[in-house]
Amino acid sequence: MTDTSDTTSIRDAVSRQLPRRYRAELRFRAAGLAAVASAVGILVILLISILSQGLPAFTVNQLVLPVHLDRSMVDPEGDASEASLRRGAYSRVLQDAIRAEFPEVTARRDLRNLFGLYTPLNATRLMDAVLADPSLVGETYTFRMPIADDLDLYLKGRLVEDRTLATGGLLTISADGDALALNSSAPDFESLVEDAMATMRAEATALDARAARARNLAAELEGSDAEDALYEAGRLSAQAQALREELAENDGRIELNRDLPTILVELSGVAVRLTALGADGRTASGEAMLGDASDISGASDWTLYVIDTPESRRRVSDQAIVWTRALEARGLVRTDFNTYLFTNADSREPELAGVKGALFGSILTMLIVICLSVPVGVFTAIYLEEYAPKNRLTDFIEVNINNLAAVPSIVFGLLGLAVFINAFGLPRSAPLVGGLVLSLMTLPTVIIASRAALKAVPQSIRQAALAVGASKTQSVFHHVLPLAAPGILTGSIIGLAQALGETAPLLMIGMVAFIADAPTLGLEGLTQPATVMPVQVFLWSDGAERAFEARTAAAILVLLALMIGFNALAIYLRRRFERRW
Amino acid sequence: MSVIAIVALMVIVMLAGGFYVGRARAIGAVNGNTVRLHSLPNYHGYYVAIWTGLPAFLLLAAYGIFGGQAVERLTFSELQREAGTLNASLEERLLSDAEYEEFRGAALQLRERVNAIGDDMQRLRSARGEERDPARLEQLQQEQREALNSATAAEEAAIARRAELVAAVGSEAEAAGASMRQLAGFELVQAPREQRQLFLSDAMQIANGALSSRESAELNAAARIVARYQDRIRYFVAVLALAFAAGGLLRTRGQVVPDFRARNHVERLITGLLLLSSVLAILTTVGIVFSLLFESIRFFSTVPVSEFLFGLQWSPQIALRADQVGQSGAFGAVPLFAGTALITLIAMAVAVPIGLLSAIYLSEYAGPRFRATAKPVLEILAGIPTVVYGFFALLTVGPAIRGLFTWLGFDDVVTQSALSAGLVMGVMIIPFISSLSDDVINSVPQTLRDGSYAMGATRSETITRVVMPAALPGIVGAILLAVSRAVGETMIVVMAAGQGANLTANPLESVTTITVQIVMLLTGDQEFDSPKTLSAFALGLVLFVITLIMNVIALRVVQRYREKYD
Repeated sequence: MTDTSDTTSIRDAVSRQLPRRYRAELRFRAAGLAAVASAVGILVILLISILSQGLPAFTVNQLVLPVHLDRSMVDPEGDASEASLRRGAYSRVLQDAIRAEFPEVTARRDLRNLFGLYTPLNATRLMDAVLADPSLVGETYTFRMPIADDLDLYLKGRLVEDRTLATGGLLTISADGDALALNSSAPDFESLVEDAMATMRAEATALDARAARARNLAAELEGSDAEDALYEAGRLSAQAQALREELAENDGRIELNRDLPTILVELSGVAVRLTALGADGRTASGEAMLGDASDISGASDWTLYVIDTPESRRRVSDQAIVWTRALEARGLVRTDFNTYLFTNADSREPELAGVKGALFGSILTMLIVICLSVPVGVFTAIYLEEYAPKNRLTDFIEVNINNLAAVPSIVFGLLGLAVFINAFGLPRSAPLVGGLVLSLMTLPTVIIASRAALKAVPQSIRQAALAVGASKTQSVFHHVLPLAAPGILTGSIIGLAQALGETAPLLMIGMVAFIADAPTLGLEGLTQPATVMPVQVFLWSDGAERAFEARTAAAILVLLALMIGFNALAIYLRRRFERRW
Repeated sequence: MSVIAIVALMVIVMLAGGFYVGRARAIGAVNGNTVRLHSLPNYHGYYVAIWTGLPAFLLLAAYGIFGGQAVERLTFSELQREAGTLNASLEERLLSDAEYEEFRGAALQLRERVNAIGDDMQRLRSARGEERDPARLEQLQQEQREALNSATAAEEAAIARRAELVAAVGSEAEAAGASMRQLAGFELVQAPREQRQLFLSDAMQIANGALSSRESAELNAAARIVARYQDRIRYFVAVLALAFAAGGLLRTRGQVVPDFRARNHVERLITGLLLLSSVLAILTTVGIVFSLLFESIRFFSTVPVSEFLFGLQWSPQIALRADQVGQSGAFGAVPLFAGTALITLIAMAVAVPIGLLSAIYLSEYAGPRFRATAKPVLEILAGIPTVVYGFFALLTVGPAIRGLFTWLGFDDVVTQSALSAGLVMGVMIIPFISSLSDDVINSVPQTLRDGSYAMGATRSETITRVVMPAALPGIVGAILLAVSRAVGETMIVVMAAGQGANLTANPLESVTTITVQIVMLLTGDQEFDSPKTLSAFALGLVLFVITLIMNVIALRVVQRYREKYD
């Protein structure tokens, strides 16, 4: 500090660097904030995606059909006994009820499609309703059943892209051979013609692009692979060419097919599917889908209903959609809270599948975990913290527990399979074995949490107890343990929540089967085959039907609600009883 | 209500009674002047109650665990005895049946030949220098395969012939008026091993009035025997349990005198119970190690360790029996190790920067309010069940990645890719890294930071040049723990990573991991003796060893580091 010029030059150097250093500081801080924000953001995205997928599954569209329970069909013996009622032809009863709504459907194939509006499993539900109340026999009973899963998705607007167009002209329909000729006084079909042409053009362009890509691929490949690719390219080009020619030659008239959007003309009680659009935007050909449309003139209250998803790319036919819309218009479709989700066990049919079985399985499994891992964990913690002499054995136990806490859960499943199932001969898929495996898995968590809680109790408490003549055991059980209880409880609940969400070890012991009956909530339920909530999520996520996606998300929401409940309880207990020494 | 439940209730009542008897006797012995007692009256009560209830309940528990097996075993031996004459006549028939003898003899000869060729091959393999002869080895292998196939064919023919004879003897005996029990025993003894179990469990089901997989007169006869043994064992256990309880009560009641050291006795028992609980942790580890080792050794007796650890081909799904050569599955686990490593790498690439930077921001920059809200939110990420992450990866991340890369011009991007599984797994691990690093960063003494600030360093300079180097060992430990967590994670990869055992470094392809294969091998039908099932245990052993090594190192590092600043 003797040379002032030196200090100023250092000061200058430092202050020259300062802006750069502050910028670096700012960048670093922003990076940290961005990291926190991205973690939170991912959580939000995760929750939103599951909520948006799962919430629709909490409502269900039901067919509300008046069902005539004809005595001769429902009660074949005629004595109204349970045995007789069980042999009734309930699926025929349901079929008759839906046929009554659409008397014009007679062809065998059409009938099969019509009966596809609901699953045949509903016949069993109808039987159960009759068995519960035999006085229904001979009466007309209003039966509610969930509509087929794909149609349910359609009604919720999650299956197809559709729109309804208003019309301005007066519609005249006349028979034209087998088909129907439609004529509107205003150019109501004009926009549809343009749309269809645009779709075809876009399709042609897409085909060209794919052909070009195939050609590029052919250039990279050799031998027969290249030939295959070239052939593919040629085929795609030809398709594109055919589409273009069709557009050019037909003087604007467009034939509609399964690869183009479906256009339905709807007026009261009648639905017509268009098969071709005229170039002038006023005429079209069509076929009747519902009701008698062969002679209509000058109708004004008609609408155009366009399903932009082509029939070839969806799982429901135009006919099924027409029937469903008709039923909806007649007030026979009602949207209710989905009680099936909670009152049914698993089912092959998504609309009837519920989480009851898995929920009961989870409850039984968790009961075992609570009864085993909490006492054993707490006892171990007490021993290690309060009694254990410092020797090799206790050191080994300590190291052991720390390592067990980090053993992958699937290894516990292997242990369960080898020891509980193969060596002890306990039943597969049973909540008992699941509970044992999960108990061993949660044990280290409970032990570590309990030890921390015991450690937090100050030494003075123990000394005071000993000073007034309490034995070691008395000081621990009468004074230390009650003070550590909130911490132990919190740790145990967190461990239990972990066990509740665990899946992998349970796959090993066969709790991954399809089980259509919920286990009984009792001692005998412990050895019945069952599954648990997270495994149910896993099973449904594998389901082929798209409706299972929503079910899966709904099951996840139920599971998350349980977990949040558990964790909230833990947080509440911690807040309520926490004591700082 | 079952007899056992009634007995259990009675024992509980006796236990409660024991408590009051012990207590009352203790008080009575000193005429209410409890100060004269060595232990408090309650301790005398506890002492009597424990000796009343404990042995009886241990007996009942043993019955619950082993009772079913005992009944099964007794039933089996009784049925075996019943079927003695039928079995003997079958043996006679088998001995005199020329066809069967021929097949069996041929099978034995062929087997011997297979073994002989095997010995030759062994000799050739271990030969050195000029004696090595790969062509001959190849030829021998071919011969052995042929011999094995014909041996299998002969064995199968023998088994089929035997089944014919069994059916013949059975129907003859039925015609001759053999009892149902004899026939049941005959069916049971002659059934293959795995069907015996089914037969017995069906008989148990019928005996208990539950649904069985099938019904037959033989099963009903067996069920009656099962029911008889069940009743016998049940009543025996019931009487014995009551005797234990009564005996314990009577014996300990007499011990209650004023000077009796009841408290010390009870406390010793409690200490024993505590010790027993903590031994369970060791037992779990022992159980894991032994079950994995035992099955793995069985696996390695059919597939060499070197082939398993260094083989490049993994296709165990072909069902194979020990005697089926020519269609053996391939058990080279390298593709699985590579897939596990790839996904773990991707997960770490997500989790380490985000987790570490979050921890730094939360511990060094964030105000207490921000910290109090952000930290629990991060912890929620850790509490979400992994199956939920799997669903998220499968239905949201997978398609998004596919869309993105298709848009970028990649062809044939699959939904189930290493990338989507890795990314989501990374998210799962973020809280793990952030909370562990948070602990570590917080335990760096404030004096180090103060020193750095005093020198004029900015906060970020302090963090990167002072705090981080000081916390580095702990952070390395945290990352190691996170890696071991990622390696052992199952559900995300099962749902989102696909199942193709591709040996690839391309994150857009589907890969498979150790855990995925364990799940694939052990779900669905399984024969417990096939190498396919056993290989799952070998994979489990590898997984256990890898994670164990990482955990031990990580825990050491973290602990050392903590001690340094404590």
